[in-house]
Amino acid sequence: MILLGLEDRQWIFLATVVFASTTGLATYAALRLRRKSSRAYTLALVSFGWILQTIGLYARGLQYGGCPLSNRYELVQFMVWSAIALYIFVGPAFRVSLLGMFTSAFATIFSILSLTFDSWDTATGAPIFGDSPWIEAHAALALFSYGTFGILALTSAMYLLQSRSLKQKKMGGFFPFLPSLFELTSINLRLLLIGFMILSSSLAIGSVYWTRETGAVDVPKLSATIAVWLAYGILLLLRYRQFLSYKQFSWACIGVFVAALLSLEAVDSSSSKEASLNQYVPLSTKR
Amino acid sequence: MSFHHGELLLITVNHETVSMEDRERYSLDESQIRTLYQRLHRSPDIEESLILNTCNRFELYTKTSDPRNGISIVFKTLQDFYKIDIQELESHASTRYGPEAIKHLIEVSAGLRSQITGEAEIFGQVKEAYAMCQNLGYAGKLINRMVQKGFQAVKLIRNSTPIGEGQINISNVAVDLSMKIFGALHKTSVLIIGTGEIGEKTAKALNSRGANEFGIASHSSERAEIASHRWGGSPRNLENIQSYLNEYDIVISSTDAERPILDARVLSEIVRARKNRPLFLIDLGMPRNFDPSCEEMEDVFLYNLDDLAEIAEANLKERKAAIKRSEEIADQKSVSIWRMLESRGLVNFQ
Repeated sequence: MILLGLEDRQWIFLATVVFASTTGLATYAALRLRRKSSRAYTLALVSFGWILQTIGLYARGLQYGGCPLSNRYELVQFMVWSAIALYIFVGPAFRVSLLGMFTSAFATIFSILSLTFDSWDTATGAPIFGDSPWIEAHAALALFSYGTFGILALTSAMYLLQSRSLKQKKMGGFFPFLPSLFELTSINLRLLLIGFMILSSSLAIGSVYWTRETGAVDVPKLSATIAVWLAYGILLLLRYRQFLSYKQFSWACIGVFVAALLSLEAVDSSSSKEASLNQYVPLSTKR
Repeated sequence: MSFHHGELLLITVNHETVSMEDRERYSLDESQIRTLYQRLHRSPDIEESLILNTCNRFELYTKTSDPRNGISIVFKTLQDFYKIDIQELESHASTRYGPEAIKHLIEVSAGLRSQITGEAEIFGQVKEAYAMCQNLGYAGKLINRMVQKGFQAVKLIRNSTPIGEGQINISNVAVDLSMKIFGALHKTSVLIIGTGEIGEKTAKALNSRGANEFGIASHSSERAEIASHRWGGSPRNLENIQSYLNEYDIVISSTDAERPILDARVLSEIVRARKNRPLFLIDLGMPRNFDPSCEEMEDVFLYNLDDLAEIAEANLKERKAAIKRSEEIADQKSVSIWRMLESRGLVNFQ
C-alpha cells in the first residue's frame, strides 16, 4: 500500500534505518567517547523512527481496515512498535540510562529480521478479525504485552550486564552508564506486572469469544498463548515470593520472552488459516 | 618583555611552579584579598581585577589601561603588599597575556591544572572568587565577559570529555560502587568494622551521599562507643557479628585481624536470610578481613583495597587521557573569546 509516496515496507525500512542509527550513535558515544548520550536526544530520534514505523503500519492497516496482524512480519513489527511506544510514553518515568539505546537495538534487530525474510510477509495477509473490534483489541493487546515483555527482557539483560561487571570488577564498557541493580530490579517487577496485566486483559477478551465458539481457535495457538500467560504468571509469583534470585529472575525473563517469540509461530499459522477463512480481498496485495 | 595583548594580564603563583612553602607566603584570607584589591585599584591604570586564592594557587587577572607599564604596576603593588623582594616575586610568578590568560582561566576552572586532575572543587572556588570580585565592584565589562564566556567553555569541556568522570580516591570509588548496587543510599545501612582512618573516611563519603544508618563494630566495646559517638551510629560488638550482619547492606572492614572475620560458610546463612538483597563487602584490611570465598556467593559483591585502587588508577588514566582534548577546546575558546573582546573594543586599544 502506498502512502505519502512510499510503500508501507519502505516506511518500515526508513524507520529501521533511524533505529539502527540511534543504536550506532548511542553505542559510539558510550564506548568510544565514554559519554552518555542525552536521554532527550535519544528519545527524539527513537520517536522519529516510531513515527515512520507508525506510518508504515498504518499504510499496511489500510489494506485490511484494521490492525495489520495477519502474518509473522506484521506480528513482529507490531510487537516492535508496541515496545517503542512503551519506551516513548512510559520509559521517561523509569529514568533509565541507555534504555533508549537498548530499545532501538531491539527494534533494529527485529525489524531487520522481519524485512529480510520475505516468507514472513506472505501475500495472503488478510484480516483475521471479521467484523469484531473486540477480537482486534484482543490481538493488539496481546502483541502490546509482548512489546512490554520485550522491554522487560532488555532491562533484564541490563541487570545481568551490570551485575556481571560488578562481580568481575570490570568497569569499562557500558558499566558507567547503566543504572543501579536496585533500580533495574524495581523496573523489572513493574514491567512484568504491566505486561502480565495487559496479556491477561487480552486473554480475558479472547476467552469471551472462545467460549462462544471453542472450535474457532487452533489448539496450538490456544496452548501457546496460555503457556506464555502461565509462564509470566508463575514468574510474577516467584518474584513476589522471593523464590528466585534477581539473577535467576533476569535470566527467566529473557528465556520466557524467547519462548514467547517462538510461540508467535503458532499464532501466525493460526492467524493465516483464520484469515483465509475470512476470504478477505486486500485492496492491494502488491509488495 | 612583550606587551602584545598587555591590556589583560595574569600573574600566577601555583603548585606547578612553586613549592608548598613558597605558596604559603601568598595565601590570603578574605580581608587581605579586599586590601589587595584596594591597593591595586589605587593606580588609575588598573581598571579591573580578579583575585583567585586557593590552597594551590594565587592568581591575579588585571585589565590595565597602560599595557606597556601595567605589569610593572602590578608587580610593584604585590611587592609592597607581600613585602617580598621583586626578584624573588618574579621567580615565583608566571605571567600570561591576552588569550593565553583566558586559556589559563579556562584550564584552571576545568580542573586541568589541578593537582588531582579533573577535580570539580576548583570550579566552585573560581565562581566564589568571581562573585566576590563582582560584589566589591572590581569586575568590569572585560572581566565579566571573559569569566562568563570562560565558564561556558569549562562546561563544554566537562560535558564533552571524561575529564571529571570516575572517582579517583578509594573512598569515593567505594561510594560509587555502592550507588551502582543500591542506587540512592538513603535506604541503605552501613556497618563499619574497625575504627581506622580509612574506614572513617569511607563512612563519611557514604554519609555525604545519603547513607545515614551506621553501625560501628570493634573487638573493643570502648573503641566502638567512642567512634560511634564521634562519627554517629550505633556501637556493635564484633564478637557476635553473625547476629546483626543481616541488618546491613554495606560492610566496610579495616581491622588488622590476622584471620578473616567472614568466610563463605558464615556468610551463606546471612545471605539466605537477606532474601536476595545484595550485600556489598568492602575489605580495606591488610591482611584481608573477608575470605575471598565470600565473593563466589551470588548477590555478594566483595572489593578489597587493591580492587578499589585499580579502579581509581584506571579512572585517573582516563582523565589524563582527556587532557589533550580539553586543552584544545580551551585553546579554541580562548581565541574566540579574545576576538569577541576585540570586536567589542574592550582590548587591543594601544
